[in-house]
Amino acid sequence: MARFDDLPRRARNEAVLVLGQRKLLQRLVPGLMHAFIFWGFLVLAPTIVMAMIAVVARGSTLPWLGRQGWFALLVDVFAVLVLAGVVAAVWIRKVQRPARFEGSHRGEADLILGLIAGIVVTLLFWHGSRIALGLNEWPAGWSPVSNGLSQLGTSRVLERSLVWAHVLLILTFLAYLPHSKHLHIATAAVNVFFGRTRARGRLEPLRFEGADEDLRFGAGTVADLTWKQVLDTFSCTECGRCQDACPAHATGKILSPKLLIMGLRDQVFAQDAEPIVGNGVPEEMVWDCVTCGACIEVCPVSIEHVDHIVDLRRHLVMVESRFPAEAEPMLRDVERSSNPWGKPQVERAAWAEGLGVRVLEPGDRAPEVLYWVGCAASFDERARLAAESTAKLLQVAGVDFAILGPRESCTGDPARRMGNEYVFQSLAERNVATLNESGVTKIVASCPHCFNTLANEYPDFGGSYEVVHHTELLAELVREGRLAPTAGEGSITYHDSCYLARHNDVRSDPRELVAAVGRPVEMERSGKQTFCCGAGGAHMWLEERGGAINEERVREAAETGAETLAVACPFCTVMLDDGVRASGRELRVVDVATLLVESLDGGA
Amino acid sequence: MNVLICVKRVPMTGGKIVLTEDEQAIETRHLGFTISPHEECGVEEAARLIEAHGGESVVLTLGPPEAEEQLRECMAIGADRGILLVAEGAEWDAQATAAAIVEAIRAEDVEYDLIVFGNESADTGGYQVGIRVAYALGLPCVTGLKGLTVEDGRARCEQEVPGGRDVYVVPLPAVVTVKEGLNLPRYPSVPAKLRAQRKPVATSTPARRDSRLEKVRLALPPGQGKSAEILGHGPEAAPAVVEVMRGLGVA
Amino acid sequence: MSVLVLVEPGDELSLQALALARSLGGPVHAVSVGAPAEVAADVLHVAELEGSYAPGAWATAVTELVERLSPEVVVAAGSDRGNEVLAHVAARLDLPLAANCTEVRGDEVTRVRWGGSLLEQARVHAPLKLLTVAPYAVAAEAAGAASSVETFAPALSEADLAVRVSERVETASAGVSLTDAKVVVSGGRGVGSAEGFAIIEELAGLLGGAVGCSRVVTSAGWRPHADQVGQTGTKVSPDLYIACGISGATQHIAGCKGAKKILAINDDPEASILAHADYAVIGNLHEIVPAISAELRKARGT
Repeated sequence: MARFDDLPRRARNEAVLVLGQRKLLQRLVPGLMHAFIFWGFLVLAPTIVMAMIAVVARGSTLPWLGRQGWFALLVDVFAVLVLAGVVAAVWIRKVQRPARFEGSHRGEADLILGLIAGIVVTLLFWHGSRIALGLNEWPAGWSPVSNGLSQLGTSRVLERSLVWAHVLLILTFLAYLPHSKHLHIATAAVNVFFGRTRARGRLEPLRFEGADEDLRFGAGTVADLTWKQVLDTFSCTECGRCQDACPAHATGKILSPKLLIMGLRDQVFAQDAEPIVGNGVPEEMVWDCVTCGACIEVCPVSIEHVDHIVDLRRHLVMVESRFPAEAEPMLRDVERSSNPWGKPQVERAAWAEGLGVRVLEPGDRAPEVLYWVGCAASFDERARLAAESTAKLLQVAGVDFAILGPRESCTGDPARRMGNEYVFQSLAERNVATLNESGVTKIVASCPHCFNTLANEYPDFGGSYEVVHHTELLAELVREGRLAPTAGEGSITYHDSCYLARHNDVRSDPRELVAAVGRPVEMERSGKQTFCCGAGGAHMWLEERGGAINEERVREAAETGAETLAVACPFCTVMLDDGVRASGRELRVVDVATLLVESLDGGA
Repeated sequence: MNVLICVKRVPMTGGKIVLTEDEQAIETRHLGFTISPHEECGVEEAARLIEAHGGESVVLTLGPPEAEEQLRECMAIGADRGILLVAEGAEWDAQATAAAIVEAIRAEDVEYDLIVFGNESADTGGYQVGIRVAYALGLPCVTGLKGLTVEDGRARCEQEVPGGRDVYVVPLPAVVTVKEGLNLPRYPSVPAKLRAQRKPVATSTPARRDSRLEKVRLALPPGQGKSAEILGHGPEAAPAVVEVMRGLGVA
Repeated sequence: MSVLVLVEPGDELSLQALALARSLGGPVHAVSVGAPAEVAADVLHVAELEGSYAPGAWATAVTELVERLSPEVVVAAGSDRGNEVLAHVAARLDLPLAANCTEVRGDEVTRVRWGGSLLEQARVHAPLKLLTVAPYAVAAEAAGAASSVETFAPALSEADLAVRVSERVETASAGVSLTDAKVVVSGGRGVGSAEGFAIIEELAGLLGGAVGCSRVVTSAGWRPHADQVGQTGTKVSPDLYIACGISGATQHIAGCKGAKKILAINDDPEASILAHADYAVIGNLHEIVPAISAELRKARGT
């Protein structure tokens, strides 16, 4: 079963993400704030039992542990840390007031913080009271804070009051847990365990064979949600890091991954059998998403928001035929014409005319590497250049390669991200049959979406190949000396494609190429934190409401002062070029492969 | 009510038509197939009529065995069953096609209240099959429909003409030929597509008749491969454009 | 060998059909229904039929004359009406009908397929050839007077009048109609959105023209089907057709090739439309179209 594989990595995630709080610590103050409280709860857990024992038997405690001085020290230290965390949290929420909390249940959070503070304060005072009465089972000197508090004096009644208050606060907290976002205490660690460890760009396929009643066409009502999706909604702490990272939200759209998950959670809790879209989740939100995965990357509890969005889309598209009208031509074209541009497949290799590129016909000897060109480079005049450059580079380096030409159908990525899983699967099956019959074992793709689908999603349909992105192959050829670029002085800022950098961890190879041909300068949101160009999630074919994601990214690129904006994706090429033209700036948007070709000729 | 829609499998030609070497057909390798937009509206209209009035809609085609694919697409939109008249090899002309369709209709147990055709097929564009079928069956025929309402055993048909619409009212049973714009065809749901895979298709092979309008060869019209005069690039070309417009007397 | 031509008064396509009929040699008989037409035929037969159009009645008028005159060829314009009437005639006389012909040579005709993107050479195996003439394939001859005019009253059956126009609904036309416009400014996928058509409308307005669009645009819901130019939309024949962001699928070309001149505005120098256009501007239509509008305003001093 998919989510029980790769156990060592899952265990590692528990250690690093849960125990180590790594994602939270990316923001230092909130990270420490939460880490103190979390670690504090781990350390203080036994004291809950101790307090409950003491409520019943005044003179008793946990055997052995209750008497350890070092444990008492830990308790004191972590209780103070928890308090420090609570103070920091209050400061963040009441003074700093970050935008990511917009839409979150702030009152709930305040209550929780109050309960936590109450729990540790009563714990410390109670320990102080016990020391004052001589009831402490541990050597008092080991717990300096409690020891200090014992100087305040006490009485038997006070000691009993404190322990009862402490236990009652704990019980209140526990009773409140399932009704609040604090449920994450129980669910988050489990959710992290079951998060994707590899092939993060892969969506779960649906089945179309079998009895009608057994088929699931995405998520229409909460009854359609998978167990992982329900677990996701129970794990959300409303922290809003996803909201901050979302490019749609950043440009004024109503989509917030946080509000999406909260909306689903509320509908699940209410056991509301109404359709999700239009109730828990507004319809517009479903279409705003560009599937960039920034939300998933920053989520400390490993919620996989994109799965939810795509499943909601699947139901809307495949069952209700309900989707933005401007996408209908694309959906019909990708099904009938085998590419989302609706252009005849016969013209697919037109870009390669006169370049001496081998077109693989049925029965031909399989090449060492199949160059998967993709629909964009085949049919869009701006994306074409990257294919020409890639082909030239492969020829110069003496790589034995070929293209499929008209037999290359769309990989199906736009259909799948749009929610039309049925059309995607028919394209996937057809392409896999073509590839398998041709004996191809290695594929290089210059489009990150093709690359992601071929590498991560086609194995579900019987297609297992070694798949690399063109920047990976070109970087290898440069390292091997088969391509010799000349270093250049021009400043270049490289834009990471979401489907490369985040979904597939391809970040260093393109940078090697950029460094080999110019002076690289990084944008702030780069690598895993890259900011989308706005075309993912079938948005190449959807109209954008609100501000433009691509213009926001172009603004960031221009701020680096670079002369050239290097990309490694045909969608990014078109979107960012559009953004540059709309802004009237002077910034050259060009694929890394083209920069490489130009540097081979002796400089741009 | 019982509705029959007749469709034809045609290739999706795209931007350029390429002929086979023998000049007898379009080179269809790598081309997808579909039905004419007129017919798609006809299929949608039939589905809506059955949804409103109850009954059954049947989709029929005369074509190669692969045309079953088009029948299934139509059944996903809403037809209940399909009839495939297998015609392989050389093309059938409009007269022969109409005769085969008439035979198939007569062989049916069902009396159709409405028989729907596209106004003309996308490829051969003969403009006559619907009218021939109507004549053979002794039914009234209204062509070029952009609007249709069925009520009290009568069809109110609207045809677009310069300046407005001509209205015809005919009693059912009747034959109509429809044009794109009659409605907006739905995007079929996947459950509908899956159900369509299981709906019945009756196949038969009608006897071939001689072609009285016999295709000799196909040819590309002259003047394809014109070379447009590039007036310029970008907005700087605007003055050149206006000059051309003046020359044509439109500016 | 005589030819019978179905003509309609004041109809340019009828004059084109007449020109093709004349090119076959032999006496030219024209038939018009209800009223005479200004055609320079040898004999003009006017069928005395009152009331609104009924295809069956028109077909009877033709078949009666066929019986009386025994022509070798019957010709009509390849308009909706011409194709319809001759199809009825063909059904009744059990004869083949070659629709939308561009040429006739003895038994062989050249006719149009795919709305004009492909030609078919076909042989008619029948003693009497029925054909309609593809619009704008043949130059119209001048209007004129027939050498002699005869009237006749076709004997109609009930069935002939079963299908008849019962009313004409006038549609309020906002601006110039596509079919009448001297200039059509048309937008395709490249326009990008419904709002994007504002610049198209602006230019059309300045030129006193109509706005058209490709099929992708109507599928995307940006414009109504009434604006669609194409094989299954409206076929236009303006003096100038400006195709903005239209790739040039055969479907679309079939609708605009009747234009005298075509100007393509496209980002892609390899787009199919350039093979059918007389002029082209390469670049972003969102910059070019407003620039043309601005240039027009400047030239007019407005």
